[in-house]
Amino acid sequence: MQQMHLALHGLAIKKHGSPAEVAAIVGLDEGTAATLLDQAAANGRAARAGEAKFMLTAPAQMALRMEYGRLYADLRANDAMNAAYDRFEKVNADLKQLITDWQTIEVAGSRVPNDHSDKAYDARIIDRLGALHEAAEQVIGQMAAHLPRLSVYGDLLTEALEKAEDGAHEWVSDAKLPSYHTVWFEMHEDLLRILGRERDE
Amino acid sequence: MNKPMTITPPHSGHDGRWTLTLDGAELPPASLIGGKAWSVARMLSLGLPVPPAFVITTEACRAYLASGAMPAGLEDQIRDGIRDLEARTGHAFGGPGVPLLVSVRSGAPISMPGMMDTILNLGISDETEAHLAQATGDAGFARDTHRRFYDLYASIVCKAVGAEFDADAGSADWDAVLQAATGQTMPETVEERLFAAVRAVFESWNARRARRYRQHHGIPDDLGTAVTIQAMVFGNLDANSGTGVLFSRNPLTGAREPYGEYLPRAQGEDVVSGKFTPEPLSRMAEHEPQAHADLLRAAEVLERENGDVQDIEFTVQHGKLYLLQTRAAKRAPDAAVQIAADMVADGTITPQKALSRVSAAQVRSLLAPRLTRAPGPETEVLAQGEGASPGVGRGIAVTDADEAEQRAAQGEEVVLVRAITSPEDVHGMIVARAVVTETGGSTSHAAVVGRALGLPSVVGCGAGVVDALKGREITVEGSMGKVFAGLLDVSTPDERSDPRLAQLTEWARAASPLRVLRPDEVPAGSDVQDLSHVEGGEDPQQIGRVLQGVRAAQGGAIGSDEGVRAAMDQGLEFIVCTPVLPALLAAVHYAAEQAGQMTDTQPAVD
Repeated sequence: MQQMHLALHGLAIKKHGSPAEVAAIVGLDEGTAATLLDQAAANGRAARAGEAKFMLTAPAQMALRMEYGRLYADLRANDAMNAAYDRFEKVNADLKQLITDWQTIEVAGSRVPNDHSDKAYDARIIDRLGALHEAAEQVIGQMAAHLPRLSVYGDLLTEALEKAEDGAHEWVSDAKLPSYHTVWFEMHEDLLRILGRERDE
Repeated sequence: MNKPMTITPPHSGHDGRWTLTLDGAELPPASLIGGKAWSVARMLSLGLPVPPAFVITTEACRAYLASGAMPAGLEDQIRDGIRDLEARTGHAFGGPGVPLLVSVRSGAPISMPGMMDTILNLGISDETEAHLAQATGDAGFARDTHRRFYDLYASIVCKAVGAEFDADAGSADWDAVLQAATGQTMPETVEERLFAAVRAVFESWNARRARRYRQHHGIPDDLGTAVTIQAMVFGNLDANSGTGVLFSRNPLTGAREPYGEYLPRAQGEDVVSGKFTPEPLSRMAEHEPQAHADLLRAAEVLERENGDVQDIEFTVQHGKLYLLQTRAAKRAPDAAVQIAADMVADGTITPQKALSRVSAAQVRSLLAPRLTRAPGPETEVLAQGEGASPGVGRGIAVTDADEAEQRAAQGEEVVLVRAITSPEDVHGMIVARAVVTETGGSTSHAAVVGRALGLPSVVGCGAGVVDALKGREITVEGSMGKVFAGLLDVSTPDERSDPRLAQLTEWARAASPLRVLRPDEVPAGSDVQDLSHVEGGEDPQQIGRVLQGVRAAQGGAIGSDEGVRAAMDQGLEFIVCTPVLPALLAAVHYAAEQAGQMTDTQPAVD
């Protein structure tokens, strides 16, 4: 796989990311990612956005979309990969429900924000997340059999989960951290792009 | 159960024996057969009827994990174990006739998260489903038994997510669903399925969560898990079958009489589902006198052996009783106090243990102000929301915290009614008899502070309630979540007038590391900080900071669990509140928690 494509693809997923953040999800080393993004900025494919952060430019977005179809044609035609992705969608539906249950609780029939004062409630959800993660690991493994770099998401998810299990609950869904939900969302975006699928909502 | 279980790995020299029959003749160590099989063996050794079972030892698990394959001889011994179950039940694994179905459970010496859950109904197949349908005369039940097996096998062995097995479909459809969801297939024979389930139990020993749990708790990684394989019994087989639940004492009142329900010709799920109305135990006594007598005897034995009231699930098959599960019974506040007092009186437990079995919240709910008479239909309900803090309070509905404070200072009884409450309203909440809000749930500010202050609170009554109630005389019932028109009669129980609570208070005072005094017990000239006048003194989150450098305190949230904990953390000499028993219990439980003693819980045995 072309390294420049990977760097720009990582930036597309991050929307607004540093070389280190891009490197972490696409499996480049940080120095290489920094060099590539600097190059991209120099020839107009990326724009600098704040300190050491980059964004894709609009033309680069379009070029990237066209590249996916060419670079991932085999993967898109692979039945086993598509079946694994369909299973991923099912786990995804469960995760969405779980995150909803994490962020809101039901009180007298209506949902209100979870203020995390009920420790037992939170512990049950983190336990559910641990169980869901077993299914997630399985399906990520099935997809990584066809595209090895995807396994990095399993590692990042495990990292976030274990931090949450150890009491740092912001690692469940905080959007400013590579929390479980953040990594999941990025993995989903990655898969949608390379497989040419659309989000259902 | 109460007897300690040893957790050292058994001897390493191995004689090639990987399974043990559980027949009550001996009680092998939990390290060899796991906690669940140990409990089954113990029940059998007490002469109690449990469905026949055998266990694959932790040694087999260790051998499997070391080599990655079933150790030589294990599969044959599992076959022998199944043959033994067939002989003891009179049913054949895989049919014909009423089939032998088994449950497969993991059983580590210590229970831990991430281990494999129980698989039920293993042994069902297209063939045995037909036999079961014929034997029970209930094709729907047989189909559902089959479907449930697929469901459990898929989610537990194959880690399927979102696989749904349609109740109206059959195994061909379910096979396709399993394949699509996991890429795995259902093994063809019931024996292969059993072996696959056993392997899944072994492998769950190394599941991520189990490994982490062991790491955090210093549990050796080489203990391994046992696998318990137990015959399933059917409560829906014939007119002499049924299922039910028995409490060894009444869990609502604590009265020393068995209390339970029985559902003839039904399976356990039917009782829980609420689809059928169970009958009182007296009906079981008429129809199944032998099983009924055995059940009462079993309840007595289990209560004595476990030192606590038991909640027992049982099934009767062909007139014979089987115990499925027993655990310490959950109980209502009144029953908790009654049972603790009774069990100390008859010498079953120590006063220290009695204190561990009554929570501060249970006593608070017993001592909360209550309506003297239940409101009749003529009593107008002005508003309804979620009961967030129990008790009854009444007074004039006031919609502003400053006004509440002024009117209370003049001796009026007020109820604070707000759209929501915020920290700016707390001075009004402290003087109010109750609080009512339009929006918010059980974790809203009003609910949290209401509970900390012991203030009856009804939250989330809906828009417009503030205007509707303003200026009216109202009575707030904080358990039901209702606001009644008018000032209803309220009485407040006194902890000193209930001999059981007085006795518990005496024990708790002896055991508590924190002195808790009534206002009239405070030594003259003591310097007692009144938290009602300190910013944050009513807030469970802030009370630790508020108490820094204080010698003694009263008011605010000092009598709440958080207040007591903070007082102990800050080394206060004493606190002043009323009633004293909830605070004393909170102190005793906190001290036990710090000393690393778990609260008194008996693990479920199933």
